[in-house]
Parts: sequence; C-alpha cells; structure tokens
Amino acid sequence: MRKFAIKMSPNARKTPTIGAIAPELKLLSRPWGYLGQFRAMASPCELLIASHDEAIARQMLTLAANEAQRIEAKYSRFIEGNYLWRLNHSQGAAVDIDAETHSLLQFAGQCFSLSDGQFDISACPLMALWRFDATAKGQIPAQDAIEAARKRIGFSRLRLEAQKLQLPADMQLDFGGIAKEYAVDRVASMLAGAWPSLSVLVNFGGDIACPIAKPESQAPWQIGIEDPQALDSAAAVLQIRQGALATSGDTRRFIEKAGVRYGHIIDPGSGYPVVGAPRSVTVLGPNCVTAGMLATMAMLKGEQAEAFLAEQQVYFKVFR
Amino acid sequence: MKKTILALAVMASLSGCASFGVEPWERAQLARADMALDSEKNDLALDDHIYFSKEGSSGGRAFAGGGCGCN
Amino acid sequence: MQLTKNRNIAGALAMASCSLVGQSAQAAAPAGLLDDWKVDAAILYYGEQSRVQAVEAIGNAQKAFGDTSVLDIKLVADSLTGASASGAVPQGESQTFTRPSGNGQYVVAAAETPLDDTFHDTRVQGSLNWTETLSPDWKANGGLYGSKEFDYMSMGLNGGIERSFNKDNTSLSLSGSYTYDQVDPVGGRPVAFSAMALRQDFDSDAAYRAAFDKTRIDSSDNKQTLDLMLGVTQVLNSRWLVQANYSLSSVSGYLTDPYKMLSQVDGTGTTQSYRYEHRPDSRLKQSFYLLAKGALDSGVVDFSYRFSSDDWDLQSHTLDSHYRYYFSGNVYGQLHLRYYQQQAANFYRPFLVVTEALPDYASADYRIGDMTGYTLGLKFGQRLAGGNEMSFRLEYYQQNPENNGTELLGQLNNYDLFPTVKAVVAQFGYSF
Repeated sequence: MRKFAIKMSPNARKTPTIGAIAPELKLLSRPWGYLGQFRAMASPCELLIASHDEAIARQMLTLAANEAQRIEAKYSRFIEGNYLWRLNHSQGAAVDIDAETHSLLQFAGQCFSLSDGQFDISACPLMALWRFDATAKGQIPAQDAIEAARKRIGFSRLRLEAQKLQLPADMQLDFGGIAKEYAVDRVASMLAGAWPSLSVLVNFGGDIACPIAKPESQAPWQIGIEDPQALDSAAAVLQIRQGALATSGDTRRFIEKAGVRYGHIIDPGSGYPVVGAPRSVTVLGPNCVTAGMLATMAMLKGEQAEAFLAEQQVYFKVFR
Repeated sequence: MKKTILALAVMASLSGCASFGVEPWERAQLARADMALDSEKNDLALDDHIYFSKEGSSGGRAFAGGGCGCN
Repeated sequence: MQLTKNRNIAGALAMASCSLVGQSAQAAAPAGLLDDWKVDAAILYYGEQSRVQAVEAIGNAQKAFGDTSVLDIKLVADSLTGASASGAVPQGESQTFTRPSGNGQYVVAAAETPLDDTFHDTRVQGSLNWTETLSPDWKANGGLYGSKEFDYMSMGLNGGIERSFNKDNTSLSLSGSYTYDQVDPVGGRPVAFSAMALRQDFDSDAAYRAAFDKTRIDSSDNKQTLDLMLGVTQVLNSRWLVQANYSLSSVSGYLTDPYKMLSQVDGTGTTQSYRYEHRPDSRLKQSFYLLAKGALDSGVVDFSYRFSSDDWDLQSHTLDSHYRYYFSGNVYGQLHLRYYQQQAANFYRPFLVVTEALPDYASADYRIGDMTGYTLGLKFGQRLAGGNEMSFRLEYYQQNPENNGTELLGQLNNYDLFPTVKAVVAQFGYSF
C-alpha cells in the first residue's frame, strides 16, 4: 500500500527550496517491479514501475527526475535569477515568454475565471500578509493592509499574448498552485510517450498520475488516503488502474482571534481566510492538474466543498 | 455592383470586431474539438460532393473547385 | 444557484488541461516519437429512388510535425451506377434513344421520365495539403489535388494565408485555387444542338454510323477554374463564433454536359428530335457564406446561410443547421436540416420548340432549373476508449424541381416534367 503525505494547499505553500542541486536517484527492486525515488519540489518523489527491466526503470527514473528538476528550476519562486524571477522582475515591461509558460499562464487564467477569481497565481502579496510566521503572536492583518494587498493582485490585470506577457510592476506570479501537478502530468505523459505499454505511477509528494492503464491481469495500484488528524493510518484506500489524484490540504495551524478561528486558505475575493475549509480534499481526475485544481477550488468553497465536488461528478475524499 | 456591397459588408463586420472576443483563458469552450470549423470534415466533404453533383451552385464554405463530371 | 453555475467546472478544467499537458507532451516527446497519425474514415451510400446509386469511401489522415506543421492527406474513391435524367421530356409513346457511345439503344416507356442508364463510373481522388504556422499570427497552406474517372480528369493546386488579430479572436484568410479539368466523353463530344442519330432512321449500320459521327467531335476538351476566397472568422464570446466568406469563381472552357439533351417538340408537344445541349463557355460565380457556431453545455449548434449567384443568372439561397446533443459524455445525437432554393439559369428550358429558332444556349438539365431541396438528417456518434469515435448518419434528401414559367404544349400537360427526386444517404464513420 502506498501512502503519501498531505500536500499543503497552494495558498499555504511555503517550504523554500535552495538552489537546483542534482537530485539523488534511488532505484529499489520490488515484487511488482521497481520503485524509483528522488527529491524535488520540496517533496519526496516516486515512480512505481510495473516492470522488472532495470535498464528501462533507470531510464524512466532519470527522465522523471530531470524533468521535475527542470520545472522546479524554471518556475520555483525561491530561486533567484530563474525564469520566473525574471518575469517577476520585468518592471512592467512586455517580455517574451516561451510556449510552455504561455500554456501554464493560459491554464492559470482559465482556473482564475472558472473559480471566479478565487484561484489566483498573482495573489502572493495577500498570502504574504497571512503568512503565519509573519503574523506571529496571533495577529490578524490590518484591514487597510489587506485592502492595499488586494489592489496589487488579480490575474485579469496581466496582459497575455501568444509570445508576450506584460506583468504590472507591482505584481508577482507564483506557480506554486499548479507547478507540482503540472510536473506530474508532464513526467507521466513523457513516460507514456516513450514507453506506451508500460504501466507506471508517478507520485510527487501526493500528487499522482498513472497515464497507462494497468492491465486487468495485474493488481491495481493501491493508494492510501491519509486522515490529516491521524497521519499514521490510511483512512481510505483507493484502487486505480489509470487516472490521476491530487490533494489540497490546510495545515493544522490557525490564528484564533476574538473567538474566530482563521484557517489557512485565503480567498483573494474577500482577502480573508475561507470559513469552514476542510482539512484536506483529495480528488480523482483525468490528469493531475485537473484533479489538483478541483481539490483547490473545493477548499476555497469552504463549507460547500463536498457539494461542489459532488456536482462535478468526480470521486473525492474530504476530511474535516 | 453587388460585389462592392458584399466587400463593404465584410469590412464593416471587421471593424466591429474590436468589441468582441475573449481572453486566452476564456477559450475552454471554443477550444473543444466539436467547435472546430472542420470538426466533421468527412461529413462536410461528402455533403459538398453530393450537393455539387445535384445542384446548380456550389462552394461558399470551401472551394467549389473543379473536378467531377458526375451526375 | 451557485451550484448550477459550478456544474461544468470539472469538464472545463479537463479540457483546459489538455492543451497544457497535451501540448507539452508533444513538445517533450523524444526525437523520433512524433505524434501518431489521426485518421478519419467514412463510407457513404447515396441512393435515389430508381435512379443513381453511389458508394463513396473517404479517408483523411492528418499528421502534425512539431508544433508548426500539419500534413493532410485525403483519398476518396467512389462508384456510381444507375440512371439519371437525360433532359428529354416524357411522351405518350415509348421513346428510343441512342447510347452516348453510339453503340446500342435504350428504350423509355410511355409517360416515363427519360433516364439514361448508361452511367457506371468509378472515380478516385487524392489530395495533399500542408499547413505551416509561420508565426503566432500568420499561417500559410498549400495543396495539390487530382481526380480521375473514366471520362474525366481533374487536377489542381491551392494556397492560402491566414492572419490572426485581436488576441486570436479575429482571423482573416485569403486563399486561391486553380483547377484544370479534362473531359473526354464516351463517344466524343456532341456537336452543339445536333440532332441525335437514331438507328431506325437509317437503312444500314454504315449509314447510321456516318450520321452519328457527324454529331460528334472526336477530341477531348478542357475546363479551367480559378477560385478566390476571402474569409473572416470572429470569436464573439466564450461560446460563439462566426465565419463569413466571400468567394469568386471563374470557370471557362467546356461547361456543357455531354450526356444531356433537350427534346424538340411540335405544337402538340410531340417530340420531333433530340438535340444535344449547349452551355456558354464561361461562368463567373460569386457566393457569400455566413456561419454561426455555438458551444452549448450539452452540445453544439451551427447555422449557416449561403447566397450564390452567377452570370448565368442562376441564384440560390441555402440555409443549413446542425444541432448536436450529448446524451452522455460519450454518446451524441445530431440533427441536420437544410433548405435549398434555386432560381434557374437564363438558358434553362425544359424543351425546345420546332417552330422557334434555336437559342444560343440551352439546357434542360433540371439541376440548373428552378428547384427547392430539403435535407433532414440524423446522426449518432459514440466516443470509444482511446479517443476513437464511431458515427452513423442517415439523411433524406428531396429535390422538387419546378417549372421556370415555360408554357407546356399539348400532351406535355399530361406528364410530370418536373419529377421529384428522393434520395437517401447512409454513412458510417470512424476516427482513430
């Protein structure tokens, strides 16, 4: 049985990665094939390869690690001078962007509009206000600081064209909400393209994709979904042959002020934490970015998370 | 004369364009495969061929072209 | 109400993610692992009640090379048998006609619309098209076309450019095509308005043959077509787009149908002779086409209108609409409605009259006469695992030819000179 740690929601993502060091690859033989491991994007990353061919397993692992590292190096918000850093320091000028970045921004824009502005990759200034290490001692941010931050955000303020992006000087982008899911899907589709008949499970810190259906003759992949309140035991086990799974979770930290408990999922629309957000939401989807975005949007719906997901007709698991 | 009027109509519809349109991230519906103008190209080609053979006018959507002495 | 609005988010995200993950997958594929071919194939049966039957197979293969180039290959083969209206009028007595080859005759019973049952034809057609994205704003395409049947050959080339503006919400295209056709009719081209030679009017085979040969020009002829099209596509909002095309087509050369004739009748409506038709040797056509297409929550709908006119004074209006409804994520039903109305070419006439001088041009081909046409179609499609799709289509097409105002003489009043043509289309399609 596979388990994974609860991923923090994009709004709460905070673990910095320092530099882009070559990932250390581990390949372990298992009864069902090979287990490949490395670290990237501040998460343990795994490949479960349903093959006993060590050469293929090694190639797959190398490909996966290189791609994960490439995406991290390019889009991490914590690497000074990287691609994203240059976009965020373009001082309001229109800058050239590549096709990959354009696709990511276009997808982020679609998520922005589908969530009525609740999912916003430009919401960093607001998130920073609510960052718990900054608001230590249980202080909630001042109303005028929140209003000032809200004026600086909003995906609709940036101008996106096929090869150009113009980001207002006071804005910042953070791909934290989609980069890991994107990396999972990228790696999954590269592996599926190169080894179209080999079943593999890609797991980057709980964001999972199985691009090639596991044959009926083999046991399905078993995925344990943890209860955030009882991290040692899998509260639910999901069996899948194909598809993707992503989790969005609140951390257990909160501020309590005047009897109101402020959680960690911030709604850019109001500038305040979402009331009644679940502790974690896991969604099964056709690919990881879709599953991840549905999980994130469900978190943002607060009390309505289950109703929202039920309406989407997807398999999900919500812990409160 | 008729030609001029048609050309004008096309120009008029062009200049009105600026107010229409969507942002790139609002294209989810338009990007659907069934929204492509050639989404059923075999059906369209076969229909064009039937009507080309049985009616006095042809083309419009795509080239009428030559070919086919069919009845 | 919030909940209703949420309903399609999962679908919309899945779709949006396809362009993100799909495109990257393509870009990331190791060299040599290019995208597979995308193939659409269909086979169609077309059958008119007691007239033409045709089977047509079409295969369309598309392959992308990198992000910027697409190759399209199309192959079509069709086979046609059965009879089609020759242009002659029905009579109170049976009528005997010489076959187009001059070898043999066929007889049409009294009161029946004369149909020529000589047609057996097989045609193959191939075309290649290349589309190149030159920059985010500019696209160009070019292609070659060729088709061959027993008595007809056609080849052509086409090219076009497309420019998009306004965040890809508007695109303008200009394209052109040139086609060269060669017609080599069975038995030679008929001499314009020559009277059909009939065996019973001659004493010997030799005398008949000599007379038949006088009605024929023993060489092939050609036809050239130049098409120009200007198109605009405009996105209106997140669900609707419109397309408008203006096209101009200039055809010159042999435009007569070598197998069509007119009955030349006397004052009582009795046929005195059959005369081979003759059409002008040039035609300038223009058409205006407008399409609106919309994405619905559970389907797609489109409406189109086409106005077409030419210097033969033939005009037509066409209304066409498709409505698709998804019963589930994988199964859809589709309704097709089409209305066509045509005003006759100025030289169209249902017959010639002996007491009148021969006109410069004349044809009794109902296809260029006054006519209304209706199509009603149903289609069912199912998406299968792995992105394959299967579809079945059944359509009913009816043509109602009408009198263009010609006064019918004598016995012609007793017969239906403008019979309705009813046809059924059945098609099976598969995409993989």
